[in-house]
Amino acid sequence: MLDAPVDAEVKARREADLRRAWETPKGWRYWSAVNNTEVGVWYSLTAFFFMLCAGVLALLMRIQLAVPDNDFLSADRFNQFFTMHGSAMMFLFAVPMFEAVSILILPAFLGARDMPFPRLSAYGYWSFLIGGIFVLGSILFNVAPSSGWFMYPPLATEQEGIGPDIWLLGLSFIEVASIAAAVELIVGTIKCRPPGMRINLMPLYAWYVLVVGVMILFAFPPLIAGDFLFELQRSMDWPFFDPDRGGDPLLWQHLFWIFGHPEVYIVFLPSIAIAAMIVPTAAQRPMVGYSWIVLSAVGVGFLSFGLWVHHMFTTGLPSLSLGFFSAASEAVVIPTGVQIFAFVATLMVGRVTMSQPMLWIAGALAIFTAGGLTGVMVAIAPFDWQVHDTYFIVAHLHYTLFGGMVFPIIGGIYYFYPFITKKKMSDRLSRWAFWLTFSGFNICFLPMHLTGLQGMPRRVVTYPEAAGWDVLNMVSTLGSFIVAAGILVFAWDLLRPKGRQPLTERNPWNAGTLEWSHDVPEEAWGVRSVPYISSRYPLWEQPKFLERFDDGKFYIPDAPEGKRETIVTSAVDAVPQAVVQVTGPAWVTLWAAAFTGGAFILPVFKFYWLSAFSGVCAVACVIYWLWTSTAQVPKTPMRDAGLGLRLPVYVTGPKAPGWWAVFITMLGDATAFASLVFGVFFFWTARPDFPPEGAALPDMMWALLALLAFVVAWGATVAARELNRGGRQGVARWCIVGAVVATLAALGGMWLAIVLPGLQPETHAFPAVMYALTVWTSAHCVLAVVMLLYCLAGSVFGKLTQLYDADLRNTTLFWHFMCLSGVITTLLVGVAPRLM
Amino acid sequence: MTEETPFRHESIWHMVAAPTVWTLHFAIIYAITAVECSKIGTPEVARLSILVLTVVALALIGWIAWKAWVQWDYPDDQDYVHDKPTVEDRREFLGHAGFLLSIASAIGVIFVAMPALFIETCL
Ligand code: HEM
Ligand SMILES: [Cu+2]
Repeated sequence: MLDAPVDAEVKARREADLRRAWETPKGWRYWSAVNNTEVGVWYSLTAFFFMLCAGVLALLMRIQLAVPDNDFLSADRFNQFFTMHGSAMMFLFAVPMFEAVSILILPAFLGARDMPFPRLSAYGYWSFLIGGIFVLGSILFNVAPSSGWFMYPPLATEQEGIGPDIWLLGLSFIEVASIAAAVELIVGTIKCRPPGMRINLMPLYAWYVLVVGVMILFAFPPLIAGDFLFELQRSMDWPFFDPDRGGDPLLWQHLFWIFGHPEVYIVFLPSIAIAAMIVPTAAQRPMVGYSWIVLSAVGVGFLSFGLWVHHMFTTGLPSLSLGFFSAASEAVVIPTGVQIFAFVATLMVGRVTMSQPMLWIAGALAIFTAGGLTGVMVAIAPFDWQVHDTYFIVAHLHYTLFGGMVFPIIGGIYYFYPFITKKKMSDRLSRWAFWLTFSGFNICFLPMHLTGLQGMPRRVVTYPEAAGWDVLNMVSTLGSFIVAAGILVFAWDLLRPKGRQPLTERNPWNAGTLEWSHDVPEEAWGVRSVPYISSRYPLWEQPKFLERFDDGKFYIPDAPEGKRETIVTSAVDAVPQAVVQVTGPAWVTLWAAAFTGGAFILPVFKFYWLSAFSGVCAVACVIYWLWTSTAQVPKTPMRDAGLGLRLPVYVTGPKAPGWWAVFITMLGDATAFASLVFGVFFFWTARPDFPPEGAALPDMMWALLALLAFVVAWGATVAARELNRGGRQGVARWCIVGAVVATLAALGGMWLAIVLPGLQPETHAFPAVMYALTVWTSAHCVLAVVMLLYCLAGSVFGKLTQLYDADLRNTTLFWHFMCLSGVITTLLVGVAPRLM
Repeated sequence: MTEETPFRHESIWHMVAAPTVWTLHFAIIYAITAVECSKIGTPEVARLSILVLTVVALALIGWIAWKAWVQWDYPDDQDYVHDKPTVEDRREFLGHAGFLLSIASAIGVIFVAMPALFIETCL
């Protein structure tokens, strides 16, 4: 069948249909686009712009530090600058850059037309843009946060002004967007691989996306939980971190670093993933040790969660506990090293051409290895006690971040540029940019190791001449400007107009992976036809691949109904399961992002009611968007997918991408909840007065009644799903109504349990944390009610039927988690304090 | 192969079983130490339980590694590349990766438990 010729007329008609379905909006409507190629480009350019801003702050700091007793910047401004530099580099550049690049190129690796939820990507992008401008903009008004990128209380809880609120709320907003993108990337990797691409054939990049996505899911929520507590303390004076009222500042340090250390690997692994695509191409042979690389990606993913306390070696924790984290920090070197060895091995057995991208990757490996070595040093607690908070740490962290992130990303951009823009970047400029950045980097940061060992603390605005640090600092400052020159050369090469330059050839590096089957000149449809894959490097190893691909001989080479579609396959073996519709251009995503932004940003200025209103509008936008474009009852249930395959166009339950999205989101949500639970037990171990002697305890009876109501509501939801599937819609609807009532009862019971005995959250961390748990679970109850009502409306208006019940299935899945957290909350509130 | 394919042959969950054991081991020994050091002040019970837990964890990982090794069945065809689009290669790949992860996790467990051998106080 693959060799049967395709009628030229049919082919032309199909191409026209596809082109129409995937057309990018023109004129001002361009901004309503949701296609991964558009959103990905906006996303990466925005992240790059934020990086340049953070870089400017760094240069200004370096000017200030160039000579002793300098007064170029005031102390307060300096504090704002290093805080914003660190925060922006980490939250506005490093993580978003990974997501941006992945949104841009992952579908091409997987031969998919787009990401599974294009509108979600767009929503994430707009949220990121709004949040980023808000956070960074604060520096222009001299109100930026100034307690360092990890915001330690009490310094940060006591700080006057709105700086810390900007940090907390603005970055929480961005974290939510980051999680949304992670969900999308995970689902894309699991469900949108092309038929035949079994898990053992998946490109290594996709493996890394999977691992990093899951890491984001487990790392960001603790920080969100921490932000939640922190902001409650700042705005309502609930004393979680105030030792005078039973709180403990170390709780923040734990929550921050449970996020913060994995974050370092979240930043580093994607860059290694890029290297894992460039290295085989440079060596012109398959990667050596595919299983080994998977081992190291997954292993690092796990181990990196056991390291967080190495940022807290000097806080007086039991030395035995320090020992665990020190050991784990050394153990993580093993999987990290494995991948580097696999790269080197591949390069050694292949015939390497030192292309532009490869140069950057080589630089990255050199710098990162140096950073890794100092890392092994500071992971040993006694050594860390010596250099903690000195410039040695500043040197170490920049070696890992530059080597592990900036260099590989730039290498990746040189590599993928022809794929993204269909033009090439300049060889000559690349060399200039590389050597300037590489030498400048070392001139700037190598001396800092010494500056640190000589005792210069980090985060100081200036230093006296007598300290003898002036020469080293001057050298560092000179180096920083050389780096800046290198980055500017790169930026110019990236952005300079290339109108008159010829288009690139299709596969300029002679690579083997799918993305190089892209169309030159550009087509918006992603792939001409979704291929059948039987190799890790299809372009090298599958005969006549491109020809068949272009002729549309593989799957869904057409768009008969003018819809945007992509193929959904099974998670492990990529057996085709359905052809599902994906969403197209829309303004509602932009509105949703703007209102969500309002909900997060307005509380900074104490406009709580406006913020709540904005939140309601955001929810309304999201409901409209889901209702009008997801899980629509299809007109024809099956579709001819090509190659003699007929597939359904609607899937529900674990086959559906939407189900996976809910499942994955709920894992993240459960992690945030678990962090709050951790908080309760943390207080219990860290404080003798938890709960304080003779304090009012929450009411057990109401708490247990609430528990019962949660279980009833869950049962009713499950019953509704079953009854609906059994064709008894009428009863199912009543079950949904019952579930709503029971949820509201649970909500009421939870509040009575803490309000009746007269708990006062401002007085002590114990009642405060009881309130915090209740607030958290209440918010979820409200969400649960909205979801149930959505299903009810769907059932009444024919969007949800016996066969097409995805919404109800997803709601039930949500309820499994909801019920569990309801039960845990009520037990923690109603029973646990009596046992402590 | 028998007519029923066991679930583990196509399961990523089995592949990550060993590091999951590492995680649990890590979390539990951290919690035990934290509680005992704050409530009692000396880590005797904690050190003993760490010893026991470590033996249990290593035994579990050993068992997981053995099952993964069997699934990989390296001696059979000496395949360690697994790049063919077949059920067999997928099964062997998942076994191979699971086996390597078991080794890494075992090293991790031993590393993390070691301080408890030498450090006798909470200070
Ligand atoms: C031209 C390049 C860069 C220069 C000259 C530079 C310079 C600096 C300086 C002067 C500090 C403050 C040190 C102190 O006073 O303690 C700093 C801190 C920091 N930098 Fe950079 N940096 C650069 C690039 C980056 C990049 C690419 C990242 C991350 C991707 C990064 C992440 C950080 C972080 C996290 C901090 C700590 C902030 C804090 O103490 O709160 N930097 N950098
Ligand atoms: Cu760390």
